[in-house]
Amino acid sequence: MSDARHHEAPHPDAPHYVAARVQRALAEDDRTHELGIRVDIRGDQLYLRGKVEGGERRRQVAAVAGETAPGLTVHNEVTVVEVREPGEEETL
Amino acid sequence: MKIRVAAVGDVHLGEDIRGRYRRTLDGIEERADVLLIAGDLTRHGTPEEGRIVAEEFRDLPVPVVTVLGNHDYQSDAEEEVADLLREAGIQVLQDDSTIVECGPDGVRLGLVGGKGFGGGFAGKCASEFGEPEMKAFVRHTREIADLWQKALKGLDADYRVVLSHYSPVKDTLAGEPLEIYPFLGSYLLAEAVDSEGADLFIHGHAHAGEEKGVTPGGIRVRNVALPVLGRAYAVYCLGGEDPESC
Repeated sequence: MSDARHHEAPHPDAPHYVAARVQRALAEDDRTHELGIRVDIRGDQLYLRGKVEGGERRRQVAAVAGETAPGLTVHNEVTVVEVREPGEEETL
Repeated sequence: MKIRVAAVGDVHLGEDIRGRYRRTLDGIEERADVLLIAGDLTRHGTPEEGRIVAEEFRDLPVPVVTVLGNHDYQSDAEEEVADLLREAGIQVLQDDSTIVECGPDGVRLGLVGGKGFGGGFAGKCASEFGEPEMKAFVRHTREIADLWQKALKGLDADYRVVLSHYSPVKDTLAGEPLEIYPFLGSYLLAEAVDSEGADLFIHGHAHAGEEKGVTPGGIRVRNVALPVLGRAYAVYCLGGEDPESC
């Protein structure tokens, strides 16, 4: 039995590699070019976290992730950066 | 003699958010004497995005000085983007210096900087050793640091601020994964600036980092990446001993 384990096919679709592939696609795909998105996979669930500058970019991140990891359910937990008033200055 | 420096980075402008950031700049002249932008003006670094950035920051009532970031290099059009910004009256530092006269007192603000680059931090960094690709990676940062040091040496101004995209210290990276620190900055940038002295070091790039840090030589470092600030821009008052005076 133990010998058989050595002859099992490799697992290119191990979650570790799929997450890495999605992260790379988010950085390199022309639609996204997002470098700061965290990708986690638990079973058949894929979670995206991070911040982008607008709602359309948030949707594109989920679209690219879904295309790169077909079969997984994408949970888009990416938020849009909030830009508040400048606020108090700091004296240095 | 004091000066109020507004700063922001990583605005990543594009067609989908055109005009949105400009609205946050209303009244900036009441809060600040100059606006510094710490790179990553665009997402893809295309001339089209460069034009959007130029429109967003042109004709402001305070001088605007910027550097480019890694995103602004993505389409190999960084020189065209820089030219578009200059045509809109925005100064672009590319490993050189400028002096901007600011405010009613004509305070001379000396600025040095450029994109910067990575490599890591003292004791845990890459070296110019081994494969040509590795040597080129580290050499790029070293050459930038050398240019900034030379630019600072000859810069005669009331205050001196370094403007970069990449970070000079780890302090302002806290919150980012440790494994990517070498891609977020280099201690060579801090060492160069510490050797000549400056009043403030502004950078961006680390979206998950912290705003405040300090170089080993005691120069204050501020990470002004928009996701870190969560506000339109930060304002730092140099020379204001009394907090009320700014």
